[in-house]
Amino acid sequence: MSSPQDPAKPEALRVGVFVCHCGLNIAGTVDVHAVAEFAKTIPDVVYVKENRYTCADPGQEEIRKAIRQQKLNRVVIAACSPRMHEPTFRRTVAEAGLNSFLYEMANIREFASWCHQSDPAAATERAKDSVKMAVAKVRLMQPLQTIEVPVTNKAVIIGGGIAGINAALDLAEQGFKVYMVESTQSIGGHMAALDKTFPTLDCSICIEGPKMVDCARHPNITIFANSDLVKCEGYIGNFKVKIRKNPRFVIPEKCTGCGECKDACPIEYPNEWDNNLGTRKAISVPFDQTVPLVYSINRDYCIECFKCTEACGERDAIDFDQKPQEVDIEVGAIVVSTGFDVYEPYDMPLLGYGKYPNVITGMEFERLILAAGPTGGKVIRQSDGKKPHRIAFILCVGSRDKQHYPYCSNFCCMYTLKHVVQLKEKYKEDVEVYVFYMDIRSPGKGYEEFYDRARERGVNFIRGRVSRIDEDPVTHNLMVHSEDSLLGQPIEVEADMVVLATASIPKKGSDEVARILNLSRDANGFFMEAHPKLKPMDAPTDGVFFAGACAGLKDIPYSVSQGSGAASRAATVISKPKWKIEPIISIVDEEKCKKCGACVDKCPYGAIRQDADQPAKIITASCHGCGTCVAECPSHAITQMHFTDAQVLAQIHAALETNPEDKILAILCNWCSYAGADLAGISRCDYPASVRAIRVMCSGRVAREFVLEALRLGAGAVLIGACHLPYDCHYISGNYKMKDRTDALKAMLTKLGMSPERFRVEYVSAAEGIHYAEVIREIDSQRKALGKEKIQAENAKLKPILENMLKRK
Amino acid sequence: MPFKKTKSDAADALVLEWVLQVKNYKLNLDRNRCAGCQICTLACPRQAITTQKQPKQSDEPTKKAKVDIDLEKCNFCGICDVTCPYGAVKVIQNGSHDLAVLTKESYPQLIRDITVDTRRCDKECDECVTACPLSLITISKVGYDGQPVNDLSGLSPLAKRRVQVTLDIQKQYCPTCRACEFKCSSGAIKVKKCFEGKLAVDTEKCPPGCHECVDVCPITGTLTLDSKAKVVTAEQTCTFCGACKNVCPKPEALTVHRTKIFHTPVHSGAWNKTLERLTSPSDAVKEFKAQAAKTRRELVLHRFEVEEMKKK
Ligand SMILES: Cc1cc2nc3c(=O)[nH]c(=O)nc-3n(C[C@H](O)[C@H](O)[C@H](O)COP(=O)(O)OP(=O)(O)OC[C@H]3O[C@@H](n4cnc5c(N)ncnc54)[C@H](O)[C@@H]3O)c2cc1C
Ligand code: SF4
Ligand code: SF4
Ligand code: SF4
Repeated sequence: MSSPQDPAKPEALRVGVFVCHCGLNIAGTVDVHAVAEFAKTIPDVVYVKENRYTCADPGQEEIRKAIRQQKLNRVVIAACSPRMHEPTFRRTVAEAGLNSFLYEMANIREFASWCHQSDPAAATERAKDSVKMAVAKVRLMQPLQTIEVPVTNKAVIIGGGIAGINAALDLAEQGFKVYMVESTQSIGGHMAALDKTFPTLDCSICIEGPKMVDCARHPNITIFANSDLVKCEGYIGNFKVKIRKNPRFVIPEKCTGCGECKDACPIEYPNEWDNNLGTRKAISVPFDQTVPLVYSINRDYCIECFKCTEACGERDAIDFDQKPQEVDIEVGAIVVSTGFDVYEPYDMPLLGYGKYPNVITGMEFERLILAAGPTGGKVIRQSDGKKPHRIAFILCVGSRDKQHYPYCSNFCCMYTLKHVVQLKEKYKEDVEVYVFYMDIRSPGKGYEEFYDRARERGVNFIRGRVSRIDEDPVTHNLMVHSEDSLLGQPIEVEADMVVLATASIPKKGSDEVARILNLSRDANGFFMEAHPKLKPMDAPTDGVFFAGACAGLKDIPYSVSQGSGAASRAATVISKPKWKIEPIISIVDEEKCKKCGACVDKCPYGAIRQDADQPAKIITASCHGCGTCVAECPSHAITQMHFTDAQVLAQIHAALETNPEDKILAILCNWCSYAGADLAGISRCDYPASVRAIRVMCSGRVAREFVLEALRLGAGAVLIGACHLPYDCHYISGNYKMKDRTDALKAMLTKLGMSPERFRVEYVSAAEGIHYAEVIREIDSQRKALGKEKIQAENAKLKPILENMLKRK
Repeated sequence: MPFKKTKSDAADALVLEWVLQVKNYKLNLDRNRCAGCQICTLACPRQAITTQKQPKQSDEPTKKAKVDIDLEKCNFCGICDVTCPYGAVKVIQNGSHDLAVLTKESYPQLIRDITVDTRRCDKECDECVTACPLSLITISKVGYDGQPVNDLSGLSPLAKRRVQVTLDIQKQYCPTCRACEFKCSSGAIKVKKCFEGKLAVDTEKCPPGCHECVDVCPITGTLTLDSKAKVVTAEQTCTFCGACKNVCPKPEALTVHRTKIFHTPVHSGAWNKTLERLTSPSDAVKEFKAQAAKTRRELVLHRFEVEEMKKK
């Protein structure tokens, strides 16, 4: 049931305003009663109601009741951030029979009560204006229908580590077709290279190997190993993914995995998979349990003697002319599980890695102690091939270090405990072990008990950061200098070998994956979730999910659970025949379109087509609703639904109706700067209440007219908030389009005599609440420093010019 | 320890190394033995080797070209070691000189076919020792009593006849130039060249007064100057290594052309390519014809034709 509307005779507006107390979260600072009273004075508002918790069931019921009883045809909810509860109230409104796009939120919690706690009066004023702006917008809103698109019931997994393997198996078991793209020659990831796993010390490949084989054998799974993700187009439910199969120079269908070619090959090169501790042949597999078991030739080392071809004989599997091959697949959902890399501390010269032969990393130790490793499981020193008797382990190398990686790498404490227990249990009294640590982090199931096991084995734990390592040039023994912070004195330990538990870091190539799939990365470089707590496996791009260490470091149990979790999230998409898309897309007014084609290049998604002599056409399902084209169209022929020019201008008018010179008009993009401003509120950063914020989906939507109109109305300052350049924009490049536009605008306005500080573009990420607060504080003090008179004088001078420019429309 | 690659370049040796936790590879180029020729540069399957003409000091003779090896490209296969006519390169894989390219028969060995019949030697002669431009020959003489004999002049004819002559040639360094053979008056030494070819100098085209090739030729007597200071060639002792070619300022003046290489039999793509580069595609085809290796011949012809076509 939709609201009865007769286009011939527009129905009278009946706006209902619901002011939420949010317990004391809002009511504790904002005078909610005054806001409600104020709302009653706004034209077209016929009903105002205060709620203690609007989002709770009784609160929602109040709304539904009021819509029915008061015959409301527009609803404004003054409560928290729309980023929090917009979807909740859409449903509420729809349940009462009103089109769910006929409601608007006024953010009076994150944007008033929480960020202006020191000035309740000003917070209340801001809240009132927010309600007024919301009413102004809601008046012009139109009912919209959710768009439905068909869904391809297949998924692709990018990265075949333990997380990706679990996601693939779970999806395949549910009956979905799964493609798995792995950039190296074998699936398995880091786990396949480990010896044992904490805290149970079971053999790593023995538990992962069968899963790898299951993947290869499963009728629903197709593995593309030695392949790269090249391109991804489309949208949730309908992705078109291009994969490049890099040449192996061996035909997978013909290779039997016998390895006879390897025996014939004269050339060896360092085996990266073995951390370069040992070598592999120019034709080989990285390790025996490789899945899929297909040999590859490394043409960077091969001398083309063709001895392998001779050895391969009738099987005829070797093809030196193999070329890269591109494969197109269609999927409904994407799981990203690209894992991590291990840091090699070449840039920490005081530790001597790369310089002293007996200083190794934890990952290298893993390969040394592994029975199938290059030394056959013998822990030996590089300098003399002898077994070390005193080994020092150093934790947090590069991790929790502001100079390198500020975060905790999650599993190095535990894997070091594993290493020391393995050593002690293998060599008993024959080896002395020292561990230099900052804190031992052992929060998992059975982890603290494992720590006890290490202590019972007589391992020496020394709390302190190591300052440097020196080497005796003759014996190649190492002197570890540290402080013992428990005793408060310096300590020196001589060791035969030092193992550095180095940081784990974002996977190389993550930026490329982020670019292709339009993902963003957090300050440390790991992929950013849509919500760290509530959507830990969802990417901001719909239909893309994360599993494992790529979105923040995780140990094996956690990565495995995330693999299954991501599979379940992906299944919520691909199990449906159709997927609903928000109708906030752009449409072209064919009458107004001058067929210039300017919009075509500006659309970050290539969703616009303009054929000769034809008005531009927007491909609905490809449009992501950023609104960049709207701002770019010279003929104002494009409209973004739900964020129309008229709606935004109405908000600007409402915001600047009184005392415009005292106000900062901010237009914020939904994903970064609005979220950053929300975070400022959530973190209770106090900043001046002179700001009035308008939300658009993307900074690319900010048309020149918005800025000019705000200044014409006399705004004290204008701020545009955007995602950071170069990659943070959620619509690929909307921020760049905005920048091009506003750079020119700012130059012009300054030339016309406006103080440059009155127009500002600021890049604020969703994590930069403090930064947002600082920016507002700065603009506000600049505004105050200029003084109301100066601003008014500038405005008086600007006004006729601006009016003229806006008239030309 | 992380994988380490090192390179050290000194006046008498260039050393490249890969050190891994459990393995190591080493290449040693003896700059004193290196003639600065073309061979390894052309033989290297990875194109890791380059030669650089050295700047000329006006009053000094021209220096031989300097060989450099790119650590990023070298994979320690040992092909330069095997092909160097002067035995200047030594590649050690995991402490052993048993190169995998040889043991796996993916590359042939040069055949330095030298036969010495000391029974024919004039007991007093040591011409070959002085004839060898690289001083690779030593002669030892032992009397009937088993004692070494240095001076034969005091011996009786009988004692002289009973002196036993042993001739030692350091074969691994010998480029088979045949200088000893030509010098030997009793025909006791027979040398078969491992490289055969053509050498010619067109003195018309030589820049006036130039004798850079003469300066660098490691085989004394192969290139000389006549009374008018023109270069004269003696092809019979030429090793066709191309050291002269690397310094000659006028490429059209000097021709060094290898036509045939004497080597152990092998089936190897790497060798086929080396052969093509060291000689010429058409010479390589000749070898394959002799071996009746039809497919390989066609492959080269095909590649050659394509290149010819490209040129046109
Ligand atoms: C020394 C060490 C010891 C450890 N010991 C333990 C232990 O005992 N117990 C434990 O629970 N955890 C341990 N861990 C942690 C464990 O390794 C991780 O939890 C686990 O590997 C995470 O799995 P993953 O699938 O997320 O990532 P990964 O294992 O890193 O797998 C990612 C996969 O994606 C592929 N990939 C990456 N980028 C792309 C791309 N662009 N396109 C296609 N494919 C791509 C990679 O090649 C790789 O195969 C240890 C870690 C280290 C460093
Ligand atoms: S052709 Fe290359 S891969 Fe094959 S045997 Fe020779 S060196 Fe090894
Ligand atoms: S092949 Fe020639 S250039 Fe190369 S090392 Fe030997 S002598 Fe020198
Ligand atoms: S003349 Fe012959 S031996 Fe001398 S450098 Fe030239 S090619 Fe070599």
